[in-house]
Amino acid sequence: MRIGHIAVVFCLFCLLRVNAQETDSIRTFHLNGVDISESYGQFVRRRSALEVNVAGHDFLREHFTGNLVQTLEHIPGVHSMDIGSGFSKPVIRGMGFNRISVTENGIKQEGQQWGADHGLETDVFDVECVVVRKGPASLLYGSDAMGGAIEIMRLPPPSENQIFGEALLSGRSVNGAIAESLMLGFKKDAWHVKARYSGQDFGDYRIPADTVVYLTQLLPIYGRRLKNTAGFERDASLYAGYRKGAYRSHYAVSNVYQKSGFFAGAHGIPDASRLQDDGNPRNAELPFSTVNHLKASVQQQYTAGNLSVRLDAGYQNNHREEWSLFHTHYGTQPAPEHDPDKELVFRLQTYSLSARAQWTPSPVWAHTVGWDVQHQRNRIAGYSFLLPEYRRFSAGLLWLSEWHPSGNLSVSGGIRYDEGRMNIAAYADAYLATYLAERGYSDETATAYRWRSYPVRRRFGNLSGSLGVVWNPAGEHRLKANIGRSFRLPGANELASNGVHHGTFRHEQGDPSLPSERGWQLDVSYACEQDGLSVFVSPFVSWFGNYIYLKPSGKWSVLPHAGQVYRYTGAKALFAGGEIAAGVDFLRCFSYNVTAEYVYTRNLDERVALSFSPPASMRHVAGWKGKHAQVEAEWQAIAAQRRTAKNEDPTAGANLFHLRTTVRILPEKINAEVTLSLHNLLNKKYYNHLSFYRKVEIPEPGRNFQILLKIPFKQNIK
Amino acid sequence: MKTPIFSIYICLTIMAGILVASCDKGDNVKPVINLIEPEEGDVLQIGGDVHFEMKLSDDVALGSYKVDIHHNFDNHGHEKSGEETETVPFEFSREWVEDIAGKKNATVHHHEIVIPENATEGAYHLMVYCTDAAGNEAYVTVNVELSHEGEEHEHDE
Repeated sequence: MRIGHIAVVFCLFCLLRVNAQETDSIRTFHLNGVDISESYGQFVRRRSALEVNVAGHDFLREHFTGNLVQTLEHIPGVHSMDIGSGFSKPVIRGMGFNRISVTENGIKQEGQQWGADHGLETDVFDVECVVVRKGPASLLYGSDAMGGAIEIMRLPPPSENQIFGEALLSGRSVNGAIAESLMLGFKKDAWHVKARYSGQDFGDYRIPADTVVYLTQLLPIYGRRLKNTAGFERDASLYAGYRKGAYRSHYAVSNVYQKSGFFAGAHGIPDASRLQDDGNPRNAELPFSTVNHLKASVQQQYTAGNLSVRLDAGYQNNHREEWSLFHTHYGTQPAPEHDPDKELVFRLQTYSLSARAQWTPSPVWAHTVGWDVQHQRNRIAGYSFLLPEYRRFSAGLLWLSEWHPSGNLSVSGGIRYDEGRMNIAAYADAYLATYLAERGYSDETATAYRWRSYPVRRRFGNLSGSLGVVWNPAGEHRLKANIGRSFRLPGANELASNGVHHGTFRHEQGDPSLPSERGWQLDVSYACEQDGLSVFVSPFVSWFGNYIYLKPSGKWSVLPHAGQVYRYTGAKALFAGGEIAAGVDFLRCFSYNVTAEYVYTRNLDERVALSFSPPASMRHVAGWKGKHAQVEAEWQAIAAQRRTAKNEDPTAGANLFHLRTTVRILPEKINAEVTLSLHNLLNKKYYNHLSFYRKVEIPEPGRNFQILLKIPFKQNIK
Repeated sequence: MKTPIFSIYICLTIMAGILVASCDKGDNVKPVINLIEPEEGDVLQIGGDVHFEMKLSDDVALGSYKVDIHHNFDNHGHEKSGEETETVPFEFSREWVEDIAGKKNATVHHHEIVIPENATEGAYHLMVYCTDAAGNEAYVTVNVELSHEGEEHEHDE
């Protein structure tokens, strides 16, 4: 059962029965010959030509942090871009933001992924299994899945009729977080229903530093807690599945609400007076952000003979608000009558529909035809302006074939065409025009700047595809190669934003004429497992003919409090790197695993690195596993990142030590589990090159003790 | 077990090749601003000009600089102090190119920033931004106070 290529982790995959593939159920029927003891992780990994990691239930519990992305960071090649202690967004092999696709229940999660200070809006407790695909996945997911895809999936229903549930309780010392989750469900004949409520409350987080530097000013940190980084989260979800004969369907509704404060010292102009301890470490005052993500999805699937058809439909409403005490630099702008402090509002509605038909004429061939459509509408409000209103429509047609001439060789390839349409509304700012006129700018300049966003109507056509091979020459060796072409439609921010982003403090300007981002990527990987020994190597190289980045223009912005204008520009770019892992099991219950990863990025036009390049890092994990308990000790070595983009600061490296243990209490009766972990044992002050607060020189959270208690129960019914 | 060694070798070769190919370096070194006047906490005279002096340097070539002065009353909330008659919060933003563009080192000294008589007294931020020819940007911020009682800064020259 052991796939020890990363930590102890992957040997603990969810054991799924093959006839219960919720996740990729469309191809279920031709798995019948597969050994029933194979884990889902092994299966996915053996079949996909791309590098795939599966984080099962045990992995998620052992590495629980109250934040999904930070948990996935234990997979080599995956990084977490943190916004304080509570929220994060994923980065795979140096690509983040809109270059990663996250799906849940078959629907692509759509929020404001482009924003540096926007996290991933999912309920961490409601995640049962995660598949991480590294590399270009545009063929399967369309635009955005350039760097990889993260699929959040459901475990299959239990085989017997039963009532089941679980209660989870978690606490973290670094930010005083208390999180709880309650799930109740039943399986009765064809029905499988689950409901979950989760909540999380956290205070200002602790950092091992007394001062931070912002805009060249040294600011004090009172009580070593970062003021106003507290927040809370309330999530609820309902899931219902129905399976009868060849028909399957599921229905899911979920709502995630998050509120988190922004560190006042990193918002606007620094001022020590705003950092005074207000005596309450658990309040989130202005400035803060709230986001509510509502998602509903339906899946229908029917299998007849060697033909299987699946339909997915989804609706999402992402409502984000950013609040900050009313301020304006344009004297004539009055505070709004209602909610004067509501700075920015984005309401993104997404409708998506996807259809798949798979035909398996013989055990050797499988063909899939697919069709995806998505419509988005973004509306804005607030006294400030950053992103215009827009509508986006995209539709894609794909064809995928798999060929398995023998048990140890499989070749898969496919081609996809997508059409995207973007319709961006104009936005004129009269206050800005008056302000500029008052300051002596010419009418011409004032009129030109008055348009914060020009109307943009664009149409994009993109061809993507991939070809891969998986070869298992002998049981213990596995060799994969994949070449893929991927694309991404430019976002509304890249086409039409124009203003000072209060998260990055830069005047960011879109370019309405930008073409789609396109790239080629070559992946190779080799894995070998033998006698408790495992080795894994996966290098990759990718090349982009048009990689969109924020280019410093050298021209000063006329907007107050802004430096130069940063313009979204396309450049030729190169990414290369890979992951290496090795593991050994010895004396029956001990293990040692080492993983290392490196990403090299280069903007070939500017001849410097790209921003947010993850530093090289290495993890050593020594573990012991008994019948009812396990212990892991980890040494994480992060190299310094000196390869930076223009106007990005280098970040020093760090050595961190972590401890984790899981104990099962009363395994016979209630099977409760307690997981304890100690992160950053030595309370080391270090920086994460990818963190939102990095540029304000705010170090990462200090020593963190965490406890997770899980009490499951089940009762068989007739 | 020959295959894994071979794979590692290939991997390392590719990485080494890339590193060698990437030796030519673009400019991502920021210019350096050494702001001499005004200093942190200085009082600037309303109705007078500002003694502005700094040294700029860059490893390749300087681009331009910008000075931005804005008030910091009430932590940026723009509430006006009612009794004062007809004063206006002072706002200043201007860029200079010719004096420094293309140079590696430059000394800037001028009195071109003038604070009008009707400027509101109080706490202000003075920010100096500087870019080099490649778009690398540096900035410094100092807290200053605008006052009628402020003494005219004596000149060292």
